[in-house]
Amino acid sequence: MKKSWGEKCFQIFNYTFLTVVAATMILPLLQLLAVSFSSPIPAESKKVFLFPVEFTLGTWKHLLQNEVLWRSFGVTIFITVVGTLLSMLFTVLTAFPLSRKEFLLKKPIMIAIVVTMIFNAPMIPYFLTVRELGLMDSIWALIIPGLISTFNMIILRTFFMGIPSDIDDAARIDGCNDFRLLFQIYLPLSKPVLATIGLFYAVGYWNSFQAAVLFLRDQTLWPLQMRLRGFFESPEALADVNLVMGDYDFNTITLKAATIIFATVPIVLVYPFLQKYFVKGAVLGSLKE
Amino acid sequence: MDHSSIKLQNKSELQMNADVIIKKKSLLSIYLENIRKYWMLYIMILPGVAFYIIFKYIPLFGSVIAFQDYQIFKGILNSPWVWFENFKFIFSYQDFYHVLRNTAMIAFYQLIFGFPAPIILALLFNEIRLMFFKRTVQTLFYLPHFLSWVVVGGIVFELLATGGIVNSIRGIFGAEPILFIQEENYFRTIVVISGIWKGVGWGTIIYLAAITAINPSLYEAAVIDGANRWKQIRYITLPLLFPTILVLFLLNIGNFLELGFDQIFNLLTPMTYSVGDIIETYVYRAGVLQGQFSVTTAIGLFQSIVGFILLYIFNRLARKSEQGLW
Repeated sequence: MKKSWGEKCFQIFNYTFLTVVAATMILPLLQLLAVSFSSPIPAESKKVFLFPVEFTLGTWKHLLQNEVLWRSFGVTIFITVVGTLLSMLFTVLTAFPLSRKEFLLKKPIMIAIVVTMIFNAPMIPYFLTVRELGLMDSIWALIIPGLISTFNMIILRTFFMGIPSDIDDAARIDGCNDFRLLFQIYLPLSKPVLATIGLFYAVGYWNSFQAAVLFLRDQTLWPLQMRLRGFFESPEALADVNLVMGDYDFNTITLKAATIIFATVPIVLVYPFLQKYFVKGAVLGSLKE
Repeated sequence: MDHSSIKLQNKSELQMNADVIIKKKSLLSIYLENIRKYWMLYIMILPGVAFYIIFKYIPLFGSVIAFQDYQIFKGILNSPWVWFENFKFIFSYQDFYHVLRNTAMIAFYQLIFGFPAPIILALLFNEIRLMFFKRTVQTLFYLPHFLSWVVVGGIVFELLATGGIVNSIRGIFGAEPILFIQEENYFRTIVVISGIWKGVGWGTIIYLAAITAINPSLYEAAVIDGANRWKQIRYITLPLLFPTILVLFLLNIGNFLELGFDQIFNLLTPMTYSVGDIIETYVYRAGVLQGQFSVTTAIGLFQSIVGFILLYIFNRLARKSEQGLW
């Protein structure tokens, strides 16, 4: 089919526009990566674009010796791994009964849960509740209050409801109880959607910030994102040495760039592998009943 | 003859029995039987129910401290009730209007510019025919969704610094560097643009799914009738996308005043409080840090109620076209 002149113009514009905007999504990170491998002087004078100038590993060597940073890394790894596992367990256990026709409380509980999406509790009573539970300055404050994301729960429930019921009729005849039905039949069938919500939870925990702002006064428990912000506010803490006094192969600019990369790369590395799953998952969650 | 009369009698007897059985089966016994039969489902749901009660409903009902002079050592039960005093206070308080104005302005800009952005992007994606290009570009567009606001805030500060890329480009044209992030005039623009940058790709997912679901024969018929690409978008894609747009719009409007603590908190500096201090950041400072629990809860409650009223109004409007959320 012949294309009109206008359509050709539009196609050219469209490809160019999308390329340019897509580039802005990745360039800032690549630039920070380049800065983190550059020497202080070119970094200071903003000469670094996409490739390191006067390549050095000094910044990374210094950064990776920072015990405070590793401590925060450990906290973040803990809340991401333990938090995601616990969240998956709670979400699966909640979504399954809510997907069963024979469960009489299905509808009232579902309504009660959706109500909490519309009426979000204000920040202060939420803060006071968590405090009353004795979770202040506890690592569990970063996990327990966010165990179930209603959005993820609904994604999983929608998926469970789509599994044909002849499967569980057959299982029941074989004397399969509800727990076995869930863990041995439903979950293996739900791997893609479990991968999706697992990723959503992991990203949430990895990037968790507000919970740390609200509930952690004790700096030793700060997760990575909170530590990152602390470093932004006082770069001296990050450098950990008197930069003016000596001749170092790093400065606060290269250190800051390296810290951002350090706090970002692990989660960004996982995501292309799971991309094919999460698109499906995100769509499932939006289905109207 | 005889036989049939016996049959009739039996039938009516059976019916009576059935009536009695149904009457006997009260609601309670139906539930008890359901629990006995499916007790495992009830055990499974317990942790989830406990979670929603403790972390959603208790704080929700805890909002009554907005009507009290809440004192931490007395607790909810013993704190004195002041009813609408806190609300009277906030409505006579200059700072409140200030923060409310900032919140509403930013929310409004985000709705005007941020909401249509993924729709437009999804339409542009849909015009791409090279699958390899499409997949690569989409992967890049989803990326920022996975960055935390601390990281994005760091990047924004870096880009807009006096020696940052934006000022370097302006420098080429001889403009004096501006420290954008501390300028009141630019703060809201920065919030809107950074919000779009982070969320636009992710936002396209649902629209793209809705576009894929459109029956291709509609386009084929339109082509035969001589419709060009633009007309196909205007008269097929957009109308069929409308229900999805409406649902997402309604979900959006319900959280109209909830801008997201992380974003603003990480972009805000004391220099920009006058234009960027929003309800959530203010409540955090005055409530969590300074302990004015009752007043800030009143503000939070006000925020939730406004959200609900907006949702109700727009849902009423949407229902006129039979497409509301409820």
